[in-house]
Amino acid sequence: MTKHEIEITVNGRKRRLTVKPNDLLLNVIREDLVLTGTKYGCGIGECAACTVLMEGKPVLACMILAVAAHGKNITTIEGLADGDKLAPVQQAFIDHGAIQCGFCTPGMVLTSHALLNENPDPSEEEIRDYLRGNYCRCTGYTAIVKAVQSCAKKNQ
Amino acid sequence: MKNFSFVNVENKADALEVLHREKEKSCLVAGATNVMPFIRYEKINDKTLINIRNLQELRFIREEEDKIEIGPLTTIYDLENSEIIEKYAPALREAAQDFADPTTRNSATIGGNIANASPAADTATPLLALNAVVVAESKSGVRKIPIQEFFLGVNKTALQCDELITVIEVPKNAANSNSCFIKLGLRNAMAISVVSVAAGVELAEGKVAHANVALGSVAPTPVRAKTVEAALVGKEFTPGLVEETAKLVTEDISPIDDVRASGEYRKTVAAVLVKRALKKSGKI
Amino acid sequence: MSEINITVTVNGTKINANVKPEMNLLKFLRSQGFYDVKCGCEMGDCGTCTVIFNGSSVKSCITLAAQADGGTVWTNKGLGEVDELTQKLQKAFVEHGSIQCGFCTPGMIIAGKAYIEKGGKPDRNEIKKAISGNLCRCTGYKKIVDAIYDVAEQMSK
Repeated sequence: MTKHEIEITVNGRKRRLTVKPNDLLLNVIREDLVLTGTKYGCGIGECAACTVLMEGKPVLACMILAVAAHGKNITTIEGLADGDKLAPVQQAFIDHGAIQCGFCTPGMVLTSHALLNENPDPSEEEIRDYLRGNYCRCTGYTAIVKAVQSCAKKNQ
Repeated sequence: MKNFSFVNVENKADALEVLHREKEKSCLVAGATNVMPFIRYEKINDKTLINIRNLQELRFIREEEDKIEIGPLTTIYDLENSEIIEKYAPALREAAQDFADPTTRNSATIGGNIANASPAADTATPLLALNAVVVAESKSGVRKIPIQEFFLGVNKTALQCDELITVIEVPKNAANSNSCFIKLGLRNAMAISVVSVAAGVELAEGKVAHANVALGSVAPTPVRAKTVEAALVGKEFTPGLVEETAKLVTEDISPIDDVRASGEYRKTVAAVLVKRALKKSGKI
Repeated sequence: MSEINITVTVNGTKINANVKPEMNLLKFLRSQGFYDVKCGCEMGDCGTCTVIFNGSSVKSCITLAAQADGGTVWTNKGLGEVDELTQKLQKAFVEHGSIQCGFCTPGMIIAGKAYIEKGGKPDRNEIKKAISGNLCRCTGYKKIVDAIYDVAEQMSK
C-alpha cells in the first residue's frame, strides 16, 4: 500500500505524518500522535466517544480517513484547556457529577463546547438534541445536561 | 424445608428457662444479623428462635473498680459511642468503628458476634487481646470462661446449648487502655477481614512490661501471637524491636487460602499489621 | 412450624398478620403492600431494604418479622409524607440527580436520615461511611453524597 504524507494542525500544532490510505483519523490521533483522550468506543460511528472538532465542528474520528484530514484544523479534548485552566464546560462537568467512568466525557465535552459556540444560550431540549449522538452508559444523562445548562449565557 | 418455631422471652430468667427446655434446638436471636443469612442459606434449620432482642437488662456498659462489664446485647453502635470503652478498651471501640456499616451496627450485638465465633469476628480479636472473661449462665448456674478458652473452632464456642452469655468482663489495666485495632479488608466497610490485629502494650521505663497481641482471620479461631509477645516482654521498646518481633507472628498463625486472600499474603501482611499496631499502642 | 401472630405499626398504621417464625421483616412489609422497601440481595449487603425500626435504621432483610411484634416501622415512603428531614432528602436527591434507576434510593435516604439525625455534619468522608452499607450500581455515588451533604449543610445552619 502506498503511504501518504499528510499535514494536520492538531491543537494548534502543525503535524506532518505518514499514513496508509485506510488509516482512520482516530487511530492516527491515538497511536501516532499519542493523544489518547479521544476514545475508540464502537469504531462504527454510533457512540461518538471519538468526537474531535474539525474546523470547530464536531466530527467522528472513526469515520474519517486520516488522508481526508490533510490541511485541516483538529481540536482534541487535550486541546480544550488553556494550560491548567479548564474550559468552562470541562469545569461544569466536574462540578455537576457528570463524569462517572469518563469514557464518553471527551466526546460529550467537545460536542457541548461546539454547541455553546454555535448557540450560547441553548434550552434543555436543544442541548439534548445536540448531544443525541453521544452515548453514556453510566450517568443517565441528567448531570451532563445540567452541566451544559449551567454554561448557558442565562445561567452565567 | 425450613422448620423453625419462635418464642419471645420477657426477661433473662425466661430465656434461661426456654434454653433449658429446648436444649440443642435453641437458637438465641438478638440483632439477627448472622441468624437471618444462616436461615436463608439453610446453614441452620429445625431450631427454636428465642427472641432476646428486647432484653434491656442485658444491654449495658458498666464501670467497676477493677474491670468493665459489657452486656451481651450491647450493640456495636453502643460500643462505638461509649466513653467507658474508649477509655478502657479502645481496641474494641476501633473494631466497632470498622464493623460492617452504621446500619448493621444498630442491630448487631457483641454477644452475637462472639457466640457466632467466626474466625473473622471483629470484636473477638480485641477481646482476646484484652484478656476478657465471658460470663455464661444457665438454669444450673453461672460460670466464667476466659476468652482464651472461649473460641474452640470455626463457629464453635465453649458455650453449652443451654447457656446464655450475660456479661463480658474486660479487666482495667494499662495495656488494655493502650490497646488498638487494625483491620485489613478488601473494602473499608462491609468487609470480612483478611487479617485483623489487636494489640495492647504496657511500658515501664521504656521497657515492655506487658504485651498482648491477637489476630483474627489467620486461624480457625482468633489467636494470641504468643511468640511475638514473649519476644517483646522485658525489652527496650524501640522501632527496631517492633520490626524484629512483628516478623515472628508467622510462628503463631496458620492462615488458609480463601476467596479473599492467600495464606501467603496473610502471613506477609500480618507482620506488617502487627508492627503498625504495636507502634500505635506503644505510641512510637 | 406454627405461625406467629404479630401486630406491627407500619407508617402509622397498625397491621396484624400471621407470619412464619423465620420470615424476614422485608418479606413481611412487601407482603403487606409496602413495595417501596426493595429486595436487593436479601442477605444484608446492599442496604436497599433499610427501614426505621423502633427508632433505628435496620436492614429489614436480616431482621425477623416476628421481632417486630409490638414495634413500629417507618419506610421511606411513609416518612416522606410526615417527616421534614426525609422530605428535604427526597428533594435533594431529585435536585442533585442522585436517582438513576432508583432501586437503591429508599435505603440511601434512610441511611442519610439516620446520619443527619445522629448529628452528622456536612463532611463527605463521614457521609460515605454513613452510606457504606448501601450499594448503588448506577450513579457512582457522587451525586448521592452531594444530596446528603446539601441537607446536612442546611440542617447545620
